[in-house]
Amino acid sequence: MAESSIVVDQLVKRYAGNITAVDGVSFTVEPGEIFGCLGPNGAGKSTTVQVLTTLLMPTSGRVLVAGHDVVREPVAVRWAIGVALQDVGLDPLLTAREILELQARLFRMSARAARRRADELVELVGLADAADRRIGTYSGGMRRRLDLALALVHNPRILFLDEPTTGLDPASRAEVWEEVRRLNAEGVTVFLTTQYLEEADRLAHRLAIIDHGKIVAEGTPAELKASIGGEAISVSFADRAQVARAREALAGFAERIETTGATLVVYRERAAAAVPDLVRLLDDAGLAPESIMVAQPTLDDVFLRATGSRLANGATAERAA
Amino acid sequence: MKESAATMPAAEARQRGMAAAGQFVDILLLTRRSVRTTLRVPAAFLPSLAISVFFLFVYDAGLGNIAKLPGFGGDYLGFILPVAIVSAAVSGAGSAGQALVRDLESRYLYKLLLTPASRAAIVLGPIIAGALELGVQVVIIIVLGVALGMRPATGLAGLLVVLLLALLWGVAFAGYAAGVALRTRNAQAAQAATFAFFPLIFLSTTFVPKELLAAEWLKVAATINPTTYVLDAMRALLLHGWQGRQLLAGFVASVLFALVTSTFATLSARRVLSRT
Repeated sequence: MAESSIVVDQLVKRYAGNITAVDGVSFTVEPGEIFGCLGPNGAGKSTTVQVLTTLLMPTSGRVLVAGHDVVREPVAVRWAIGVALQDVGLDPLLTAREILELQARLFRMSARAARRRADELVELVGLADAADRRIGTYSGGMRRRLDLALALVHNPRILFLDEPTTGLDPASRAEVWEEVRRLNAEGVTVFLTTQYLEEADRLAHRLAIIDHGKIVAEGTPAELKASIGGEAISVSFADRAQVARAREALAGFAERIETTGATLVVYRERAAAAVPDLVRLLDDAGLAPESIMVAQPTLDDVFLRATGSRLANGATAERAA
Repeated sequence: MKESAATMPAAEARQRGMAAAGQFVDILLLTRRSVRTTLRVPAAFLPSLAISVFFLFVYDAGLGNIAKLPGFGGDYLGFILPVAIVSAAVSGAGSAGQALVRDLESRYLYKLLLTPASRAAIVLGPIIAGALELGVQVVIIIVLGVALGMRPATGLAGLLVVLLLALLWGVAFAGYAAGVALRTRNAQAAQAATFAFFPLIFLSTTFVPKELLAAEWLKVAATINPTTYVLDAMRALLLHGWQGRQLLAGFVASVLFALVTSTFATLSARRVLSRT
């Protein structure tokens, strides 16, 4: 089996002023997989990407990308990786063709090969018509596509995408997902960071959930959701006082109960069948919920259990005992 | 699985010679890109060209008769032309600084940092483009000077050497502006950095030869100022002939100054951009 594409061992990154952005993170990414790093803003995802892509020096820890140490062999790493960061990085005064050709030549392609590669990429990302217009005239969507093309110029075998669909409309998001899957099918290993549950769930083969600079959970989406232990019944009340009373009323009813705001989440096996009992218990206690929902566990539930907050809306929640 | 073209070519890894050639090509490519983008914003370089030309006329018109005083070599145009050249370097520097700030703000710089190109090459692109911008201005100034009646003592060859000195000087100024741009990431600060050159230009034998300087402190300042040696070298070429000592002093001053500021720029790039 080929060696791992990415090996991160106790990575710590501290900025000046004693801000610890990444606090002892370890994980590996296997060749050919799509690995997701899911977490809220400020969790340390972008910092991690920048260290892995040689744009930032780690404070401590060991990072190997494509078998090369990012600190000691940064140039070797750059040959093997393509990077598209959260903010697009393009020179508005150049044209798409010019910027792609320059990148290709900086990766030691001959002038002719560079021109051909630029032509290929411009077709691939649908910018053939605009290829000789200045980038300053492009729309946001066009720039993103060009940004991705720029990352792929030298056929890297590992692709880093930092929040690739933040700020995109659903149609564009779907296009990006399609492109990521297509590249992965061709053998490209993908490391992507995201704050979107659905993106992590649908795209990633394996995930690390990160919060405040630490990995709080790791595994395939299925494994992570199964680890919650059963389905979830979400019971919403009009106010928190009722939630507290409901907790008491339902003690013993479930393996685990968590509250977030004015909502109670009850975890147990075969939750749907247990709903009538739940309603009866609440009724006996004189409580009338506003809504009851049975749902499969989501990554948000995983995040909630691991960190005590919801990823989806950032509201702080209280953990069950 | 698709065959990846992106393993570092073993041949290149092994052969140091090829690595050096690669660096050289990178610098060429990046300079070409900087020149391209500079030309696409004419409003950025035309005004300073106009100013250099304007001052040449004004100096000659206002101060031309001073040349009749002893010590000047008779031709004030030849005496003042180097001043126009040296002060025009400020615009090339500004251009280099602004180009780097633009690359920082657009974040295109990070794309360049992700290629095998060295930090030095990435920084030298805008610096050399700035020097070339100065070069164009210098050619125009020289042509104008000749049109106004200046006859260089060393002929065309001497003019080419003047141009070479000017280019080195341009690299020196641009290197400093580039370093400040990288550290501050701010367009105004980068522009303000170029104002630091004005003391350099004027605390020198700018308008009169050293013997005629009025104050002692100014004579001392002029002696330690590299600008003085560059001005003297250019004046020797234009007014007197091939004078080895002045020429050598001028080149040494320019090259040293250029090396110092280019190193400053490269160190700023490394420290500030990629490796906090």
